[in-house]
Amino acid sequence: MNKISGQQFLNNFWKERMKNKEEILEKANELRWEVGESLHDSILGSIYKEASEITKNTVKTEDNKDAYTFDSKLDKVLTSKLLGFPIMFLILAAVFWITIEGANVPSKMISDFLMGTIHPWLKEISQRIGIPFFIDGLLIDGVYLASAWVIAVMLPPMAVFFPLFTLLEDFGYLPRVSFNMDGLFRRAGAHGKQALTMAMGFGCNAAGVVAARVIDSPRERLIAIITNNFSLCNGRWPTQILIATIFIGSLVPAPLAGFATAAAVVGIAVLGIVFSLIVSWGLSKSVLKGEASAFSLELPPYRPPRILRTLYTSLIDRTIFVLWRAIVFAAPAGMVIWLVANVHVGGLSIAHYIIQFTDPFGLMIGLNGVIILAYIIAIPANEIVIPTVLMLTVLATGLSGIGGGSGVMFELDSVNATADILHAGGWTALTGICLMIFSLLHNPCSTTIFTIYKETKSVKWTAIATFLPLAMGIVLCFFIAQIWMLVL
Amino acid sequence: MITLVAGTLVLIILSYVFWPKKGLLAIFKGSSINSKREKIEDALKHLYDCEYNSNRCSMDSLAGNLSVSRESAADIISEMQKMSLIELSDDKLKLSDEGRSYALRIIRTHRLWEKYLAEETSVNESEWHTSAEEMEHILSNQEADQLAADIGNPLFDPHGDPIPSSNGKMPERKGILLTELSEGQFANVLHIEDEPPALYAQIIAEGIYAGQQIRLIEKNNERIKFEANGEVKVLAPIIAANISVKHISDNEKLIKSFNRLSDLKVGQSGTIIGISKAIRGTQRRRLLDLGMVPGTNVSAEIQSLGGDPTGYRIRGATIAIRKNHANHVFIKEIESRQ
Repeated sequence: MNKISGQQFLNNFWKERMKNKEEILEKANELRWEVGESLHDSILGSIYKEASEITKNTVKTEDNKDAYTFDSKLDKVLTSKLLGFPIMFLILAAVFWITIEGANVPSKMISDFLMGTIHPWLKEISQRIGIPFFIDGLLIDGVYLASAWVIAVMLPPMAVFFPLFTLLEDFGYLPRVSFNMDGLFRRAGAHGKQALTMAMGFGCNAAGVVAARVIDSPRERLIAIITNNFSLCNGRWPTQILIATIFIGSLVPAPLAGFATAAAVVGIAVLGIVFSLIVSWGLSKSVLKGEASAFSLELPPYRPPRILRTLYTSLIDRTIFVLWRAIVFAAPAGMVIWLVANVHVGGLSIAHYIIQFTDPFGLMIGLNGVIILAYIIAIPANEIVIPTVLMLTVLATGLSGIGGGSGVMFELDSVNATADILHAGGWTALTGICLMIFSLLHNPCSTTIFTIYKETKSVKWTAIATFLPLAMGIVLCFFIAQIWMLVL
Repeated sequence: MITLVAGTLVLIILSYVFWPKKGLLAIFKGSSINSKREKIEDALKHLYDCEYNSNRCSMDSLAGNLSVSRESAADIISEMQKMSLIELSDDKLKLSDEGRSYALRIIRTHRLWEKYLAEETSVNESEWHTSAEEMEHILSNQEADQLAADIGNPLFDPHGDPIPSSNGKMPERKGILLTELSEGQFANVLHIEDEPPALYAQIIAEGIYAGQQIRLIEKNNERIKFEANGEVKVLAPIIAANISVKHISDNEKLIKSFNRLSDLKVGQSGTIIGISKAIRGTQRRRLLDLGMVPGTNVSAEIQSLGGDPTGYRIRGATIAIRKNHANHVFIKEIESRQ
């Protein structure tokens, strides 16, 4: 009896409480209409008021007038109408020059060591202990060579470029670049800091995509990530220079060849910047309308860069991080590259069949089957596209005595010898021009695609970032090739 | 030659099909919207509007609002009667309780979606209404509640209309029409009617938004002249009647004269009075988080190469802000640094 009434009491108690709760909620909801909309504003206002009261009473500030005046003076120069752009241009040009010059020697050394010494040595050992041809090729000519290649061409430029860039950032100059460039990027619906991620993209697109973290507005960050691929990365410069030397330089009289080559390569890079602005504008007006947007940009005080710290973070966080991702993708790709050239069906390698199959389409857009296959299997890094193209051309044309055998990527020191191989593969000036365009406008390398996915956590944006440039490249090359063939 | 033509054709056909808004795909998607259920839901909204504004609704006004013929309007009405959503008493259309709560659910979804677009996306103001007209028929009640929870259960849509609560509560209509204000009086804009879209477009083109403070300067049959954010605006009375305002008396907190942050020249400083309601969502929170609250002192420090953005010193940090945002921050007491 007692127990039941106790239960009833509890039931009633809860009923009362629930009724109370509903009443309270009801009342609260009614009052919300009265409180109105600016509640959030006034709460923040009072928090700030309180906080500044507290700091006024407890924190002493030293008047650091000298540093402040120095900063303003420097700012006046760096953002002046007369000197702002020239200074920016000079500094960035210097960074790129130091990167290219400074990376050449170590790149050669690493390449000589990994490919010139270790690779033959490994081959010799494997032969001596009688490892079957198949495993030897797959592991040493495939996995090892692709990974070694990626390290040799990627590591030195990144190890020079990233620390330099980080030093400028640490000093406080890069925020001023964003500040100056914001007018241009605002018109494209983007953030001024995209100037930085773009510049970073000239070093490496994967690093540029990661660098987009500095953009604190969702829409503008996505724009910067998706358009980063339009910055001609470190892995594509050598391709551009090689192809321009062979095919553009030869179009003009010999004394002008050097100039024409340089102009063509710079033109491609500028074209990339133009495309990145146009695509930014298009994205902000269409698919990215649904993302929130906000702008503010802190201009921190200048300070002496912390060199050791900068070296450490830029080497570990950027260089090694990107390099590791590239190797992870390059190793299996090396295997695939070796396999397509060495697995034979009915007397011909798989590569032969694919090249035959893709050739009509390739020719339609001014390229050829070899280039299409090379871009598919060399997806881990743009650096190994040309070695793969050369290997496949030798394979497809049946040239003998050049390179290291089927499935073994190679590059030649002599530009003329390279030109001979390409000419033997049926390349014309049109192939050269279309390859330069396609090298700028195609899907990002798998390292970058993976990084985009990691950064956006979205299949949709990753797919857009991957296929948009590819579609643009195919369409542009198609029209260039078709009109070229019509006119000439 | 043939390949070139074929390629061009493929490109043209693809853009013809996929072009946003005007392509075949978009048109096809648009045409499926006019289903019967959606017509009924639109009719319910119209009837509720009449009731809320204490206007009379007729078959003609309904036909006009839905842009259908009188016959189809009659069909819709009889259909609604069958579903007992409305009651007909001597030619007057009246919502039943069921019909009213249905209408409120549609209105809730519509306004929530507008609020969402205004706060959480960068969709252009002129597109909010059209998009909400579609979404109100698509989102379920649960989805609408989820959306409300995600954006912090807002009370008003960006036009200043109250958003009905999930149990169908709506506050009483408040405020007077802009045309009812007397000359010289101060008022806050409460609500801007977003129908018909052509008039609404004219109002937002003038930079008028809910929450703005205005002062009526002159009023006659041809024009309504008033001051908003320090600028003189002129509207035709028929347009001005789409704006409701709340009169504020002189002894309330009035901002009588003010400048904008963008008026500061390098070397000048001022004190923030507030951020206009036209700055919404993420951008508003950003400015507030930087400490741009009333009473804060700001000074213009440095201008970018092209003159925009400008770097302002706020609470010991230099922050660059774009002109289109600085235009909406109000300041007073401009001083030049010695």
